[in-house]
Amino acid sequence: MTTALLEVANVSRRFGSVRALQDASLTVERNSITALIGPNGSGKTTMFNVITGYLPADSGTIRFDGHDVTRAKPAILYRRGLSRTFQQARVFGHLTVQENLVVAGGFSVAQLFGRRVGRQDRERAAALLVEFRLSHVADLYASELSYGQRKLLEFAAVLMSQPKLVMLDEPTAGVNPVMIETMEQHIRQLHASGITFLIVEHDMNFVMRLCDPVVVLDQGHEIFTGAPDAVQSNPAVLDAYLGA
Amino acid sequence: MHALIQGIILGILTAGVYALMASGQTLIFGIMKVVNLAQGAMVILGAYLAFQLFTSFGIDPFLAIPITTVALFVVGVLVQLLFLRPLRSDDRSELSLLVTFAVALLLEGIMSVIWSTSDRSINTHYANSSWTVFGYQITLVRLWAFLLSLFALGLLYLLLNRTRFGRAIRASVQNPESATLLGVQSERVSAIGFGLGAATAAAAGSVYGLLYPFNSGSHYDLISRLLSIVILGGLGSVGGAVIGALVISVSSAIVASAISPIWSEMTFFIVLLLVLLVRPRGLFGTAARGAI
Amino acid sequence: MRSVRGIGQARAAVFFAVLAMLPAFNLAHWVLNMLVFTLMYAVMASAWNLLGGFAGYPSLGHAAFFGVGAYAVTLWFQHHGIHSGYEPFFLLPVIGIGAAIVGLPIAAIAMRTRSDVFAIVTITLLFVAQTLAFNLRSITGGAQGASIAIPPFSAATFERPFYDVLLVLLAVAMGLTWASMRSKVGLSLAAVRADEDKAAGIGVRVQAVKLLAFCVSVGLTAMVGAVWAYYVGFIYPQFAIDPLITIAIVLMTFLGGRATLWGPVIGAFILELAQQYFAYSLGGSQYYLIAYALVFLVVMLLMPRGIVPSIQERLRHRRRRRVVDAPTSTGGAAQPVRAEAASMTRRPFTPVPYAEGDRA
Repeated sequence: MTTALLEVANVSRRFGSVRALQDASLTVERNSITALIGPNGSGKTTMFNVITGYLPADSGTIRFDGHDVTRAKPAILYRRGLSRTFQQARVFGHLTVQENLVVAGGFSVAQLFGRRVGRQDRERAAALLVEFRLSHVADLYASELSYGQRKLLEFAAVLMSQPKLVMLDEPTAGVNPVMIETMEQHIRQLHASGITFLIVEHDMNFVMRLCDPVVVLDQGHEIFTGAPDAVQSNPAVLDAYLGA
Repeated sequence: MHALIQGIILGILTAGVYALMASGQTLIFGIMKVVNLAQGAMVILGAYLAFQLFTSFGIDPFLAIPITTVALFVVGVLVQLLFLRPLRSDDRSELSLLVTFAVALLLEGIMSVIWSTSDRSINTHYANSSWTVFGYQITLVRLWAFLLSLFALGLLYLLLNRTRFGRAIRASVQNPESATLLGVQSERVSAIGFGLGAATAAAAGSVYGLLYPFNSGSHYDLISRLLSIVILGGLGSVGGAVIGALVISVSSAIVASAISPIWSEMTFFIVLLLVLLVRPRGLFGTAARGAI
Repeated sequence: MRSVRGIGQARAAVFFAVLAMLPAFNLAHWVLNMLVFTLMYAVMASAWNLLGGFAGYPSLGHAAFFGVGAYAVTLWFQHHGIHSGYEPFFLLPVIGIGAAIVGLPIAAIAMRTRSDVFAIVTITLLFVAQTLAFNLRSITGGAQGASIAIPPFSAATFERPFYDVLLVLLAVAMGLTWASMRSKVGLSLAAVRADEDKAAGIGVRVQAVKLLAFCVSVGLTAMVGAVWAYYVGFIYPQFAIDPLITIAIVLMTFLGGRATLWGPVIGAFILELAQQYFAYSLGGSQYYLIAYALVFLVVMLLMPRGIVPSIQERLRHRRRRRVVDAPTSTGGAAQPVRAEAASMTRRPFTPVPYAEGDRA
C-alpha cells in the first residue's frame, strides 16, 4: 500500500462562465494532516464538494484508497471511509446531540429497524461525547448548542464510522480561541490514532502549527505544494495572496 | 402524415396560450419562490370575467383583456398581501404551496357560487371560422389566440428588460439580499409581481374561454399542465416556460393524432417524469431547488 | 423517561378502547357514518404523516393511491362474488402491498426532487390518475362510474364492519408510526427531513428510508380507498381521485402537527367533524368549498406548526426551566451557552449553495 490515500488529478469544474477549478491536482498521503489554503474564491470549497461527491467534476479523476471515486456519491464515499464537515456546521437541529452522533453510525438497511438509540449506540456515542466534552449536553437538541459546540458535534459525528480520511472545512471559523485550541488537540489526538486529515483553513497560525504539507490553490489551480515553512517564502503564493 | 402535421400545427398554436399562463406562474416563482397553485383558477376566473363581459355587454373577449387583466392584477396583489406575506420564512415554500392551493379552492367555490358548475363557453360569431392553408386547417380563433399570446409575452419581455420595475424584479430574482440593499422594496416587488402573474392569467383566460368550454373545476386540469410546463422549463425561467409549453403541447398533439387522444392527456406527465429522471432541475433550471 | 412512555401507552390503550366500544352504544346511523369517515381520514392523515411529516416530502398526490385502492377492490369484485361480505377486507393487505409496489418506481423518480417541486410532481400524478380513470372507460367505466356488489350486512349494523376494519387500520398506521419513531428508520427520516445532503454524506440510508416511507404511506392510503369504495358501493373518478382528499389529509396533519404520533389523528377528528358540520349546515357544495378553503387558510396562517408541537414546546420549556433552576444541575455551566444558543436558534438555517461557499 504505497499509493497515496487521496489522489485528485486534473480536476476541472465550472459554474456557467466561472471556472471554479481548472486542472487542479492534489494528493493526500496516508497519515498526513494536509492543509488546503488559498485566497477567497480560489476554489477550496468547490474542491471539497467535488472530492466528496456533492458536485460532479466536469473532467479529471479522483482516487480514494485505491478506488476510482470520480463519480461516486457522498454515501459511497462515506462507506469507503471518507467523511467531511461543512463550513457552516451542518448538524440536525431537532435531533439531540446524542442522536446526531448515532445517526452517523453508518448502519445497514437491516439495522434501521433496530432501536432508535440502542445500548451499543449509546456506548459508541458516549466515548465521543466524553472525548469532545459534550456529555453534559447530550440530551439537548443540537439547535440549542453554541456555534462552536455545533462545530465540535459535527466533527465528532463524522468520527462515528471510523473514517480513514476526515476533511474539515474551516474548523476554526467563527469559533472562540479556547475552542480553536480544543479543535487542534482533537485533530492531533486523532491523527496520532491513525486518521488522515485534509483541512481547509484561513487561520494561518493554525495551519503552520498543525499541517504538513500545505497545498495552495489560486484561481482554481494548485500553485504550490510543500512544507509549511516554505509556503511563506514562495513568490507565487505571495503573489496570489497579495495580488499582483 | 397529414394528421400528424395538422396535430403539430395545433400543438404550436396551443402552446402560445399555455406559454402565457406558465410565464405568469414562473414569474411568481422567480420573484417569491412561491409555486402558485391558484394560477389555473386565476385563468378560469379570467375566462369567466371575459364570458360575463361578452354576454352582458357584448364586449369581444380579445378587447376585454385590458379590463380582465386589471381585475386579476388586483386579485393577485390581494392574495399576496393577505395570505402569503404573513407566512414565516422558515417553511415558507411548503406552506405557500398549501396556501395557494387553498386560494384555488376559494376561487373555485366563489366561481361556482356566481356562475354555477355547468360548462360555459364564449360563442363569438367567428368562433367556428377557419382558414385552409396548403390543405391544413387553421381555426381563426386559435391563430388570434396564438398571436395575442406572443404579443402579451412580448410585452412581458419588454416590461422585464426595459423598465426600472423590470430591473428591480430581475434583481430580486437573482439576489434578494443585495436587491434589498440596493433599495428594491421586496414587499412591493412581490405584490406587484404576484399581480403581474395573475394578470397574465387573465389575458390567457380570455383566450382559453374562446378555445374551450370551461367550468369552475377546470382549473385542476389546467394547473397540472402548467406545473408540468414550468417544471419542465425550470422554475423561474420565462424562456424555459415558453419552450416547456412548446414541448408539452406539441408532444401531446402528436400522441393524440398518432396514438389516441386518451393517452395525450397524460403525455405531459410522462415527458415530465422522463425529464426529471435525467435532470431533476428541469431543462433550464439553474438554481438548486428545495434544499430546505 | 419510563413513566412518560407508560403514559403514552396508556393513552393509546384508552383511545382505542373507547373507540372500540363506541358502536356498542347504539349510536344513530348518521353518527356512525360520520365516525367511519373520521377514521378513514385519521388513517390517511397518519399515513401521509409518515411521508409528508417525518420524511419531509409533502406529497399532494395521495388521492391517486386512494383511487388505486378504490378501483382495485371494485374491479376485483366485478369478477368475483361477495358471499360473507368480508372478502374485500381480506383483500386489503394485497391491495396495500400492490399499491406500494406501484408506488415504488414513481417514488424513485419523484423523490429525486424535493419539497415544493416534489409536491408539484405528485399533484400532477394525481391529475393524471384522475384523467386516466375518466378515459380508460373499458376498465373504470369512465364518468359513468363503477359499482361494487352491495355488502350483505344487515341494515341495522351496516357500518359496524367498516368501522372495525378502519379502527384496525388506524391501529396499524399509528403502530407503524410509533415503531418508526422508536427505530433508526425514524432517526434517519428526521435527518433526511432536516438536511438530506448532509444526511447522505454521513452514511444515512437516505434512499432506503425515503422509499420505505413513500411505499408504506401510499399502501395504507390505498387500503383506505378500498374500504371506502366498498362502503359507498359506487365510485366515480372525480370522487375516487379527488384533490380534496389530498388537501383534507394534508390540512389535518398540519393542524394536528407534522411528524408527531397523535397530530394527524387529532387533526382528523377536529377537521372531519367540522367538515361534516359544514356539509350539513351549508348544504350546497359551493359554500362548503368556500368555508373549507377559509378554514384552511386560517389554520395555515395562525397555526403553521400545529397543535401537538405547540404543546410539546411549552412542556419542554417548562421542563428545561426546572432543570436549570435545580441547584444540583449543571445549570451554572450551561447558562452562558444557553444565552448564546438562543441567539443562534433564531437564525433560519439555509444551506448556502455550494458554489458560493468559497466567498463566505
